[in-house]
Amino acid sequence: MQTERKIRVGIVGLGKMGILHTALVNMIPQARLTALYDIDKKLAKYVDNSGLQVPFYSDLERMLNEVELDAAVICTPTYTNLPMAEELVKRRLDMLVEKPLAHSLEAAKKMAALAAGAGIIHATGYLLAHVALYRRVKDLLADGVLGRVFRFRSSIYISEVFSRKKGWFYSREKSGGGVVTHIASHLIYLLYSYFGPVATVFARTQSLYSEVEDCATAILEFAGGTVGTLDVSWSIPGYRLTYVDLTIEGENGTLEITNDYIKLYLYKPVREYPKEWTNIYRADLPSCSDFELGGEGFYEEDKDFILACLERRPAAVSWQDGLEVQRIIEAIYRSATSRKIVGLEEIG
Amino acid sequence: MIKLDRLILGSNTFEGVSYVSRSQSLHYLEHFGRPENIVAVLEAAFSLGVKTFTCSYTENVLQALEAFRHSQEISLLPVIPNVYEYARDAAEKGVLGTIVDRAKRVDMYQKIRFGLRALGKIKSVISRDILNLLVELVDFELASFKKYRMASVILHGQMTDLALSSHNKNIIDIFQAVIRDNYDLQPILATHNFGTLLPQLVQWGIRIPIMAPLNQKGFMMKPTKEACEKLIRETDYPIIAKKVLAGGRLSPEDGFSYLTDKKTLAVVVGVGSVPETYHTFSVARSILKIPPA
Repeated sequence: MQTERKIRVGIVGLGKMGILHTALVNMIPQARLTALYDIDKKLAKYVDNSGLQVPFYSDLERMLNEVELDAAVICTPTYTNLPMAEELVKRRLDMLVEKPLAHSLEAAKKMAALAAGAGIIHATGYLLAHVALYRRVKDLLADGVLGRVFRFRSSIYISEVFSRKKGWFYSREKSGGGVVTHIASHLIYLLYSYFGPVATVFARTQSLYSEVEDCATAILEFAGGTVGTLDVSWSIPGYRLTYVDLTIEGENGTLEITNDYIKLYLYKPVREYPKEWTNIYRADLPSCSDFELGGEGFYEEDKDFILACLERRPAAVSWQDGLEVQRIIEAIYRSATSRKIVGLEEIG
Repeated sequence: MIKLDRLILGSNTFEGVSYVSRSQSLHYLEHFGRPENIVAVLEAAFSLGVKTFTCSYTENVLQALEAFRHSQEISLLPVIPNVYEYARDAAEKGVLGTIVDRAKRVDMYQKIRFGLRALGKIKSVISRDILNLLVELVDFELASFKKYRMASVILHGQMTDLALSSHNKNIIDIFQAVIRDNYDLQPILATHNFGTLLPQLVQWGIRIPIMAPLNQKGFMMKPTKEACEKLIRETDYPIIAKKVLAGGRLSPEDGFSYLTDKKTLAVVVGVGSVPETYHTFSVARSILKIPPA
């Protein structure tokens, strides 16, 4: 009897996201969780009684020498993504890296170049690409239900930072930025996946509690002509979970998408959608995931990566996509600093 | 085996959870941020004979319990640990740092309640001993509920599902041992992965009531609605149904009608106002044929 091939996966970094990906990979039938790495030696005890039955290493090179892997999930602090990728690509491992792709545009460019040159499967952890409601909107737009899209307004908020914070996450040098890099990047990916490349950016950011920005507002003009606003804050009360609200205006009507629903208004019937209102709630959509941990989309994200490795096809969100998001983030920061409109062609 | 009231008041709305809209979530946060509004719902539910209440370790709920005149006549089902609080703070302090911080915060309280035991046990955090840590979290969070009658203690779905996905029987074993031995209560496991959890528990030889989504729309029923329904039909495992109104997308009439031919130990449902409390629980009693208390 032929044994089905499984992708042998190592998890690199056992913080909050590393623990989550460890558990998720362990539940994917086409994957075999094979090794765990973290610089903190004391985590050996955690792994020992976690029930996972996989070896733990605090020395990355030793892990790579002793264990045969096909793929790795990188969940270490953002500033280590590039050195980790450089190390792992030498072994030609496929890689899923937690978002953002890197802590700087230069590092992101190097990572995208690494991946392109090595012929590996590469994925960036932009979760919204794997959530049913947002996928439905992508299909709606691709099917031309709204017709030509000319305008949007969008926001992403979470109630998280209300005092001075410590740690690498709040250091610009190590994390690459604040709420734009770590929260808005999800929405920026979504806008990029819906409307294509960005042409120009005009932005303002504000730091309230630490050296990184806590809120930002930007006007984005896309190469296809769509123009819209992006507003982000992690210092706003009333949002216990990250909440997205995006309204898109097109020649056939408008569409609002949030974490909870899609509200579509059409001036005339288009395809299967009637004139005026169509409401699609999260609870109305059929389950698109066999398992759930950490919220909708995480399991699908990991499964897409594993299947991409098996089938040698591109993952849903590549490092090239991650780089495009990083270019938009860089444009937002440059515009906020220069107080001028920044063209993406200046970013390189 | 555990004995529970058939109808249980849920607490998601008190924490601002809504699957319908941001405006509803904001309304819940604002409305139930005032403990007297929680008390009003508790009073309405109590008057209808609903005397069991799931709750998390949150300030507004604890204050409401203090103010509720029948708080000694109801049974609580605390859901622990409060995973979302740890997850939120983990970005700054790391997962274990967050737990250390939490442990330090309640240390004075623990000293009064349990003597000096807690300080010594923080070592389990520093040594990354997750199993010892779970025992500590249970003790820390249940301390606030000890003055009330507890019907059982529910392990948070994210913890159950983390144990499940790590194939970590030890977490479940330790949780049930602590709840049984230290609190003389029967444990319950919450999950969002009923169809995966139940076969695993059977394989492990563990029989603990499971609280899982069960609704006509299949909302949050993993891996599929059909797989979950089949398991309920073919096993006699004790199930507590939650998300029975599919996060507000089903009327109480439709939501409870779906449950009439499903074997369930109890049904948990949250409400957003006093009128909704009267309507929802009256419909539940009528459709599920639960005699008035």
